[in-house]
Amino acid sequence: MLAYLLNLATLICINAVLAITLNFIMGYAGIFSLSHAIFFGVGAYTAAFFATHYSASLFLAMPVAMVVAGLLSLVLALPALRVRGEYFVAASLGLQVLGVTVFSEWKSVTGGLGGVIGIPPVELFGYAVTDPTQFFLLALACLIPVLLITSALLRSSFGRNLKAIRDSESAAHAFGKNVAAIKTLSVVVSSALAAVAGTLYAFYLGFINVESFMLDTSVLLMAMVIIGGTGTLLGPIVGAVLLMLLPSLFSYMSFLPQTEIGAIQQIAYGVVMVLLMIYRPGGIVGSGKRSQA
Amino acid sequence: MLLLQLLINGLQVGALYALIAVGFSLIFGSTKVFHFAHGSTFTIAAYVFYYLYSVAQMHWVLAILAATVAAVLFGVLLDRFVYAPIQLHEGSFFTVFVASFGIGIVVQNLIGIIFGRSFVSVSTSLSQSIEVASGLFVSPLSGIAIVIAGLFFWGLQFFLMRTHVGMGLRALSENPELIRAYGLSPRRLSTIVFALGSLLVVPAAILSAASTGLNPAIGHHVMLISLAATIVGGVGSLRGAACAGLMLGMAENLALLYFEPQWSEAITFIVLFLFILFRPSGFFGRAITS
Repeated sequence: MLAYLLNLATLICINAVLAITLNFIMGYAGIFSLSHAIFFGVGAYTAAFFATHYSASLFLAMPVAMVVAGLLSLVLALPALRVRGEYFVAASLGLQVLGVTVFSEWKSVTGGLGGVIGIPPVELFGYAVTDPTQFFLLALACLIPVLLITSALLRSSFGRNLKAIRDSESAAHAFGKNVAAIKTLSVVVSSALAAVAGTLYAFYLGFINVESFMLDTSVLLMAMVIIGGTGTLLGPIVGAVLLMLLPSLFSYMSFLPQTEIGAIQQIAYGVVMVLLMIYRPGGIVGSGKRSQA
Repeated sequence: MLLLQLLINGLQVGALYALIAVGFSLIFGSTKVFHFAHGSTFTIAAYVFYYLYSVAQMHWVLAILAATVAAVLFGVLLDRFVYAPIQLHEGSFFTVFVASFGIGIVVQNLIGIIFGRSFVSVSTSLSQSIEVASGLFVSPLSGIAIVIAGLFFWGLQFFLMRTHVGMGLRALSENPELIRAYGLSPRRLSTIVFALGSLLVVPAAILSAASTGLNPAIGHHVMLISLAATIVGGVGSLRGAACAGLMLGMAENLALLYFEPQWSEAITFIVLFLFILFRPSGFFGRAITS
């Protein structure tokens, strides 16, 4: 039972990091990305590659993963950020599809559909972390700085610029703000921090494959942010906790057919998304009325 | 010969994509609803037809009628009970999009539970390919697909240009307030748009069921295509969406000359990306109708 709870708590931490970083661009800059799972994946594959070939030290693997994800997002964000609204949703959807194809075809790095196996346990100061309790503490120790960094950024002038862009891109532009630079920087920060979650995920499972980084994951992350409340600090965490607890809740209901549990979960969060949009578009944490986003 | 074969396949697939994309574009252009669940309408129509025709052994006319009713009903009910309440208090396209996406997830999983997640296909005497020249296989369905797509466009064009309701629809996309001033109800017109848009996916759904087969996840693919075609063709332009759908179908098939089949979806998005980069207004700019 304790092992089960620790596993759940660790996965909640990892997903909370992802939800917080997605909310950073979605809730504050109004960039509705459907490709967050790709940057999660880039982080995970980079960390896995680095750990199996060079060193399993967290202090080396994690920064490398962050830099790779950040740089890649820079390359991809520059063209995509020229467009907004429905165009950006379409572009990011395209990026997600492309990314999955690359993940499953670039066999020398990603292991194709089979994935990367035998990722060594993560090392901290030469000490290998294998105990689940210690790994949970490590995940928590990553979640807290991510939360602090994003909230500090949002309170700074950079955060105010982001909100200005969300509320009116043309007004921010007229005010002399470099809209493109601010948006690009926010995407890079968000992707680099998503790689933190990717690194943790790769080391935690010791095995990764493309299944974890598909459109479903991007949608699940989006659902976490939206259900929790976009543009709030607590929202993504609440969303991550709720959506991660949902599966376990369903597996306790013994009257449900075991083989259909996965589908029933998906139906449940689909229904929740629809009902929230009708009755409470601001999410659980947000105010009833959603601010212009 | 391979080139010719791929061209013919591309034309068939493209004609179906064009039908799907025009339905999406019609709905998006005139009501501003980002109807992501359009792919679900396709899945529902296709599975209703598959079940009645292949499993329950009904006459094909009845099966097609039932699929049509199911698709139109689904579209209209969504508009009434999901999109309309959201639009009452919220204008943001993203809120509607999220709800629509949620519906897509629900439908895909329900279909998976009811019909299973594996591939199913409807076999008819028309789906058999005939070798017309050495190495060139053509099934009667390709011809039917192209003719039906042409007929539907002509019908839609006629409806929008010549009938009162059609003109009302074109006005709706330009100025909903004016519609109200003239005593027409935007709500009623929106219902008609959803019925029409949903109707347009039915032939594509049935022909796909009979040619390439179905699985519950097909709705996603259909949605990606309509979205890409709408943007490549120019938002709001029906002619653009039709051309773009046709082009994407061709591109997907012709790409097989150089790439492995698993890259076909990626090809669609490379085309989309290029358009977003170099010509974000699409083929035909931002004209509102055809």
